Parts: sequence; structure tokens; C-alpha cells
Amino acid sequence: MIARMKLAPDTDQLHVSWAPDREKQTGVAASVVGISKRFKKARVLENVTFDVAEGESLVLLGASGSGKTTILRIIAGLEQPEQGRVILHGTDVTDLPARERGVGVIFQAYALFPRMTVEKNIGYGLRIRHRPRKERRETVDRLIKLVQLEEHRKKYPWQLSGGQQQRVAIARTLAYQPQVLLFDEPFGALDAQTRVHLRREIRALLKQVKVPSVFITHDQEEALELGDRIAVLNNGHLEQIGTPDEVYNHPATEYVATFLGAANLLLGVITQGEVEIGSARLPAEKETKRFREGQSVKLVFRPEDVCLSRDANLPEGCRRLANGVIEEVSFVGAYERLNIRLDLTHRVQTANEAPLYQVTINTPEKMTGVPIMVTRPKPEANAAKYNAGDRVAVGLTSFSVLPNYTLARQR
Amino acid sequence: MKIGSIRHVRGFDVARPISIGVMLGIMLPLVLLPLLSIFVFGTSKGLGVFWSSLIAPDAVFALKLSMVTSFWATVFNVIFGLFGAYVLSRYDFWGRNAVIVTISLPTAIPTAVAGFALLLLWGKYGMIGKFLSEEHQIMFTPYAIILANIFVTFPLAFGVIKPVFDTMSRSLEEASATIGATRWQTFWHVTLPSLRGAIVSGALLTFARAVGEFGSTILVSGNLAGNTQTAPLYIYAKFNEGQIEAANAIAVVLALLSFVIFSVLFFARDWLEFEAQEA
Repeated sequence: MIARMKLAPDTDQLHVSWAPDREKQTGVAASVVGISKRFKKARVLENVTFDVAEGESLVLLGASGSGKTTILRIIAGLEQPEQGRVILHGTDVTDLPARERGVGVIFQAYALFPRMTVEKNIGYGLRIRHRPRKERRETVDRLIKLVQLEEHRKKYPWQLSGGQQQRVAIARTLAYQPQVLLFDEPFGALDAQTRVHLRREIRALLKQVKVPSVFITHDQEEALELGDRIAVLNNGHLEQIGTPDEVYNHPATEYVATFLGAANLLLGVITQGEVEIGSARLPAEKETKRFREGQSVKLVFRPEDVCLSRDANLPEGCRRLANGVIEEVSFVGAYERLNIRLDLTHRVQTANEAPLYQVTINTPEKMTGVPIMVTRPKPEANAAKYNAGDRVAVGLTSFSVLPNYTLARQR
Repeated sequence: MKIGSIRHVRGFDVARPISIGVMLGIMLPLVLLPLLSIFVFGTSKGLGVFWSSLIAPDAVFALKLSMVTSFWATVFNVIFGLFGAYVLSRYDFWGRNAVIVTISLPTAIPTAVAGFALLLLWGKYGMIGKFLSEEHQIMFTPYAIILANIFVTFPLAFGVIKPVFDTMSRSLEEASATIGATRWQTFWHVTLPSLRGAIVSGALLTFARAVGEFGSTILVSGNLAGNTQTAPLYIYAKFNEGQIEAANAIAVVLALLSFVIFSVLFFARDWLEFEAQEA
């Protein structure tokens, strides 16, 4: 404990790594291994495992009730897991109380001590550790400078704006050199504009202090902007963990695809290296390699990954899916949104095919076509205008093929 | 304009002066005039008489005894109220609500019953008292007065502190713990400062109530002048002896005291509410 609290000797520099020296040896700052937890029989977390690398910021993304707050509280030591371990810099801290873990928690409402001024709040960690007065003053001075609250140091929390309070909360944890920073819905209490501004500020601050951090949020935009990596939680279950690019462009599950932004979903089967959807066949040699012939799959693609053409000539790198009819064109801010009905008629089953994998379209859509949503940026929309009723060729620049475990489910 | 409508005569609301007048008319004879008469009578025979009644040895003793016994009852009940509120709002256990009801019970019990109950427990032939030797008997001593005061004012500080505990956000204490504070450091630096207002108002309420306690003290104290006679008992005794001036002087002091305590409670409300809104 004592070693972790020692501060870097060069007090003038702001660009000091505030993280303990131990970090540099392992590369992994924090690990959560096989965490399970239930509250009164309701399963909250099921075998969740992930690592946070040195200096990395990891975002736990999930809807409310997904268990993300519980994970945060378990790492902080405010909650005990039923199974699994929490490891901080190589030390198993699962059985240590919160106060001996040396983690910094930035609570949702910041939880600043109302009876203490800004500088007293920041100095609290060193005060309760009985550090010498001189060291306390130096650390507080440096941190107040770091979070740019010099003129507010004598103020009380209620005299500060939400963003300033948040910076005090961060500085208060940095004072005792936390092993990892945990942010509980850090921008939940703020309006949309401040939110965007503040998360850039925090991102910059974290790059400066290089302390590994875990954010929890339900806001996908926030997750994409704040996270070096994103872990998507659903119902206490870790769906996918990866860089923003990976989880957004290559979602591992349908939940990830639909939770992080909009996604179109079509059901199909694997046929000779192609995804067969009704009467359409999408060439996907690479994407279908891991599936069996005839396996039922989901084709997932984002509205912006669709390319359209009036004739059969789709742009380079765009794989043809089907033809369709434009049903509706609308403008949504920076984008144009098109609702398209794909001509995907009932596929005739081959003689030796197991009925289990049959993918039929026997809803009214058999007649009208399968609806998908497409978005195009303004320049593209202006270059090639479409009107409702136009027939177009529809191709995909990027898509994911996921196994469809819900057998023979009808779309 | 209809003739029957007298509610607003050219923008003048008749209901306003009438209702204020009625309210004052009820309040004056019931509350204000009795209080006023204490001060009027107390000084009617001149300030000299008032002063000499006040510094009579038995009077001074009664006042002192009231202050001291109330003080110790307050100390005990504030500490216990704090502790009880902490336990009952932080831990959930079987029978918790029963305990909360029991703690609040003394508010509803007639004070004479409380005093009688204490006699039955601590008296010479009481359940506990019979095990005490002759020289360690506590009934009819100042300790009995403290005991009675504790019993009667038991729920007051608890009742003020508990709601503040209940509404206090747990995240303050959790934040303190993650920063590295022990439970004691968290309590001392974080929890207690947030309770400052509640503790002060709880203490003032307890003290004010204890100073005026009559029903239970008259039973357990023995009412010996210069020995176990508190200020309210002194007023009663002097009144019975027909020494109205002596009774009145002490009554003035007690009335002033409660007036001061009440003013502090009332005007410090902004200061007391500060933490309620922050916590």
C-alpha cells in the first residue's frame, strides 16, 4: 500500500505518469476473471472476464440492468462477487475491502464531500493516509493545476458547475495514485452539449495522466468516443469486447449489432460460400468459411454500408445482394434515410435439404419485399438522387455473418 | 356586479383580514397571553423582588440541578440517538421495525407513567433496585432525575437524526471508502459533518424538553428542596406554598430559556437545512 502511494519526485512536471511503477512490468492493469453475481436469485453477472491494459480506457456498454454498474462496484470492492476474481496489477484483490484496493471511483453524482472545499476534497486521500503536510499541499497544488481549478480552490462543491465537480472528483482520486480509475456513468447528469465537451476534456486528461480507466455507459456514441476498447454487456453476459472499429463494423452478435447503432438483419443459409437469402445470393467466401454448408445464419449490415445503383454496375468493393424498390426518402440531419424493399422471393427448397434450415419468407413481405434501412451522407445523396418508387440494385460494402441459433425462426 | 358577491370589493379580499383576525383571536388567549402574563406578574412587584426571588439559594439550586441533569440526559440521548440511527438505517435485521417503534414509544407514554415505571424498576423493592445496597439506591437522587429525563426525551434526538441518515446518499461513504478511509475515518470526516445540523437541533430539542420535565421527575426525585428539586418542581412547590413571586421568577427564567432555544432552532434553520440539501 505504502509503495503505491509514493508520489513522483519531480513535482513541477504535469506530464508525469501518475500510475505506479509496477504497471510497466505486466501490461495488464486490471483483470476481471469469471465474475458471477446474483441478487436474490436474479442473475446479474454470468462469468464475465476481461482485462484492462496499461493506460487503456475500456468502456462497459450496456442497457440499464445489464450488470455494468455491478461490475464496476465489484472492481471497486463495494460489492462482492459470488464467483471469480478481481486482479489489479497482478495482485488478487477479491478479498480486500474497498479501502485497501487503491482504485479511484468517479461516482455518477461525483459524491464530493459537501462540507469540504475543493482543495480539501482533493487532499482527503492523503490526509487520511497521514501524509506530511508539505507533501499534501504540493500534491493538491499540482492536481488543482492539472484540472484547471486554480481560482476555485476555496469553493465548496455546490458552488461549482457539473463539469468542475467532475474534475474535482477525478483530481481527488489521482491524489493517491489509483491503480485504475472507474467512471460510473460520468456524463449521465449533464445536458447533451456539456456532455460532448466534457468527454473530450476527460479523454485529453486521461491521455495526460495515463491511468487505466473503466467507463460505464449506456450511450453508444459516448462509448465509441471514449473507449480504446468497448465491452458490450447484455443481461449480465459479455457479448463482445474489442476496439470501437471491431465492435461497430464486425459485431459478434445480433445484440451488439443492434445496440451499437442501427443494423439491418436478414436470415439466410450458407450455400457454397455464399449467403442465400430467399432468392438472393450474396458472395461471401471469407465471411462464410467458419460455417457449415446449409447452416442457418443471420446477415447483419449497417444502413451506411449499403450501396445503391440504378443499373447493375455497383461500385468497386460492393457486393450485390438483390434488387429493390425505394419506398421512402427522408432527411435526418446530416444523413438521407432511405427505406427500401428488397425483392427476396420464396426460395424453393432443394430435394436433399433438411427442413430444419429452411428459410422461408411467408409473411406479407413475400409479396411486398423485405424492408431494409439505408443511410447516405449528403454529398452522395446529392450526387445521385432517388425518389420513392425507383428501382435500384442493392449491394453491401461491409457486413457480418452470424450463426442463427434460433432454429427455423421466421422473419 | 352581483349584489351578493362581497368576496372582492374593488380588489379588496374581505376573507383576508377576517381569517387573520380569527387566527390571532384564537392564538392570543391560548398561547400568547399566558406567556405574557408570566413576564407581567414576574416584574409587577418591582425588579428588586424579582431579583431576590431569583437568587434565593433553593431557586439557584433548582435551576442548576435542572441544567445539569438535562445536560447529561442530552449528552446520553444524542450519542445514543446517533448510534441508534446509524444502526437502524444502515443495517437490516429481523425485528428492526419493532425496535424503531420501541424507541419512539416514550413520546406517547404519559410522563407520570414513565416516572412510576422507573420507580417500579429502580426503587428499593423494584426489579433491579432490590439488588442495590442501601447506599447505592438511585431513586430520589439526582441520578434518578437524569434517568427520568433520558426516558422521556429518548426518541427526540433519534427522531431528528434518523431521517437525515436515511436520506443521506450512500455514495459519499462509498467514495470515502474507495479513497482509502477506514470506517471510523469515514464516519468522522464525512458522515458526522453532514449530520451537524441534525445533531444540534436534536440536542436543543432534547435539552428543552428535559429542562421542563415535571411528571416523571416529581415521582422519582423525591422533590427535596436544595437536594433533588428541579426548577419545574420548585415552581410547583412555591406556588403551593403561596409564594407566587418565587415561583414566577423561575418561570420567567424557564420561559426565556425555551424562547432562546426555540429562536436558535428557528433562525438556524437555513444553516441546518444546508446539509439536508447537500447530503
